[in-house]
Amino acid sequence: MTEPQGTGTTLERRPDELPEGVGARVGLGALRILAAVAVPLLAFIVLWMTFEWLRDADANRGVIVLVAVLVGVVGVFTLYWAMDFMVNRLPARFRESIRPWVFVGPALVILAIFLAYPAINTIYLSFLDARSEGFIGLENYGFVFTDSGMLRAIRNTLGWIIIVPSISVAVGLGFAVLVDKLRRGEAVAKSIIFLPMAVSFVGASIVWSFIYDFKIFGSQTGLLNGIWAGIGNEPVAWLSQEPFNNLLLMVIMVWLQTGFAMVILSAAIKSVPEEIIEAARIDGASEFQVFWRVVMPSIASTLVVVMTTMVITVLKVFDIVWVLTNGETGTEVIAERMIRWFFRNSHNGRGAAIAVVLFLAIIPVMAINVRRFKAEEQIR
Amino acid sequence: MKRMKWLALLAVFAMVVAACGDDDDGGTATGDFAGEAIAIFGAFETVEADAANAVISSGFNADTGAEAFYEGSGSFEEQIKIRVEGGNPPDVALYPQPGAVLEQAELGNAIALEDLGFDIDELEATFGSYLLSLGEYEGKHYGIPTNVNSKSLVWYNKPVFEAEGYETPGTLTEWTDLADQMLADGYTPFCIGTGSDAATGWPATDWMEDIMLRTAGGDVYDQWVSHEIPFNDPAVLRAGEIFESIWGADGYVLGGPDTIPDIDFRDSPDPMVADPPGCLMHRQASFIISFFPEGTTAGVDVDIFPFPDIDDGVKGSLGGGELGAIFNDTPAIRAFVEWFISADTQCSMGSQEGVQRISPNVDVGPDCYADPIIGTISGSITDALKAGGMRFDASDLMPSAVGQGSFWTGMNEWMRGEDMASVFQSIEDSWPMDG
Repeated sequence: MTEPQGTGTTLERRPDELPEGVGARVGLGALRILAAVAVPLLAFIVLWMTFEWLRDADANRGVIVLVAVLVGVVGVFTLYWAMDFMVNRLPARFRESIRPWVFVGPALVILAIFLAYPAINTIYLSFLDARSEGFIGLENYGFVFTDSGMLRAIRNTLGWIIIVPSISVAVGLGFAVLVDKLRRGEAVAKSIIFLPMAVSFVGASIVWSFIYDFKIFGSQTGLLNGIWAGIGNEPVAWLSQEPFNNLLLMVIMVWLQTGFAMVILSAAIKSVPEEIIEAARIDGASEFQVFWRVVMPSIASTLVVVMTTMVITVLKVFDIVWVLTNGETGTEVIAERMIRWFFRNSHNGRGAAIAVVLFLAIIPVMAINVRRFKAEEQIR
Repeated sequence: MKRMKWLALLAVFAMVVAACGDDDDGGTATGDFAGEAIAIFGAFETVEADAANAVISSGFNADTGAEAFYEGSGSFEEQIKIRVEGGNPPDVALYPQPGAVLEQAELGNAIALEDLGFDIDELEATFGSYLLSLGEYEGKHYGIPTNVNSKSLVWYNKPVFEAEGYETPGTLTEWTDLADQMLADGYTPFCIGTGSDAATGWPATDWMEDIMLRTAGGDVYDQWVSHEIPFNDPAVLRAGEIFESIWGADGYVLGGPDTIPDIDFRDSPDPMVADPPGCLMHRQASFIISFFPEGTTAGVDVDIFPFPDIDDGVKGSLGGGELGAIFNDTPAIRAFVEWFISADTQCSMGSQEGVQRISPNVDVGPDCYADPIIGTISGSITDALKAGGMRFDASDLMPSAVGQGSFWTGMNEWMRGEDMASVFQSIEDSWPMDG
């Protein structure tokens, strides 16, 4: 659909030539919002009506499922198509500035409802009491920073975020470099290291709980105690040895995450141009020097990505602690404390305060990541 | 575009067909609940869960066509909270903690037995009034008794007692003298293990309660449970000292006091029945029979004596059990609960191999039970229920933040070296405001 042009060309006006004037801009903004909200709103209405109707229907289950799928899938597709059609009906100069909002809109709406709102609500809850009925100000935050359990949790979490990513990355990097030199069997070696990533944290915790198992009497079922008692010592309740037990829990996380580090760093190492390495070798550098002076600087930015991702994962650790020690014997971590106060002790205020503190702790890490993404975007 | 048109037509067609479909609920004849699923959730697992489901499917399900199913979980206390708060409660939940049933009554989730059509007088005649009173909130009853057990028992290695000429003690002094004698003869007197995954520490609370009943007495015990006296009241502290004099005494406990929370309660009787034995006595409730190693015969390899008295004239008996809370009201669920608590059903459950559950129904006689020791214990429980001399486990009656939270973890910290006064103080501090 072209605009009639006095100059005889049939080009449409360029999309970035937006109309001037405040009124037009406000109108444009309003249209964008409308476009963003239209699809999710209409989809919600249609799906809700269908759901209401289906819930009371007494039909055969299979038919109900069929209808639900058809209305859900076809219905939503139709909505997008309809909105796109509407956007095409708009004057040309609005079209391309409105269209992205139609397609990104639903994601933004869902993020707002399921991410932004809960975050704000949690911050609000952190100022209320246990049943979220009365305002108690900063009392919960005072608790977070004075309770002995919480202080141990903060201490332990710091330990986790320093030790686990460093060891995982070091081991992963070591493996990546060595496996790279294998002529055959590289894929098999990598798969073996990567396999633990397929296991859920809880599954891994249960497996390792058997390894650390302790029996006061009779033969040991735990691998570690089996070896320890086998060489003539008394069996030890490993998970109760403070503060050493924290390291034992960290081993599990390292076991899970090293594969991830290795795979990414392996790709980064392979992408270092051969010529640079050859040149370094010709200049007389030893393998060691080649690695530290040539390869490492080239993969520096990938290392940062891997480290920050691992720090974020480690800050979320709670199931390992929950399953193995139930948060006792000095193994508390922040996320485990949050779950405990929210769900075990039903104290919404304290749980929310801990959640907010965790959220603030993650922000610097995310900031580093975002800065790097922006830097890479500049390079493009 | 063409494909879109066909898909749209198909959707419309499907909707029309759906609207014209049959319903497949069966008829509504009394007792016919064909296809209705009833979800029962509880804490007992494995052997007893299988036995329950066997009786349910061959009994209730076969008679009515319903699909009632029992599911058990080791983390029941945690899971049931999450399910109820998430709006997805089971139809019937068998709570080992009456305190939690009262919480649900307060929140309005549990349905009163009166509203479900039960006659309270009839129930009191069947179960005794004490158990029903545990589930009473604002005049209405919310918990229906489904299980009861006796906790004031001490298991001992019978062959060694007979060989060494030991006599079962009747008082605390006799008991500690016996323990000293055992030490002198080269044995370790006690096996104590409180490990239990997320519930680690609960056996220690049973010890505390047994001691409280025999020092402070039933009335102070009730005040302790209802928080009329603080958790660190001198009476409670005294009971704590007596308990510490047992688990803390040199050589009394196998492995020493700080390993007590590391030993799983299911493994802790093993040293007692081993040859040579690692210890000679183990205080535990009646259900522990199902956890003894294969081949252990009650009455031959192990026997029981009641928990000794402590203060003169102060008597009490500790028991536990389950109260079932009902979250949904349908004719099928009412029929199921009525069937479940009847003497015949309870008798057939008790007669399943390996089941340690004792029915709170006073009409269920000792000969209903496969295990003769369980049968004897059941006789004494029903007598106590009829006479009103039993007290329910305190940690199951207290609010869940304490009874299934700080009381348990407090015991663990205490045994691992924390000072008793500060542990009891922190348990007192954790008592919810309105409790």
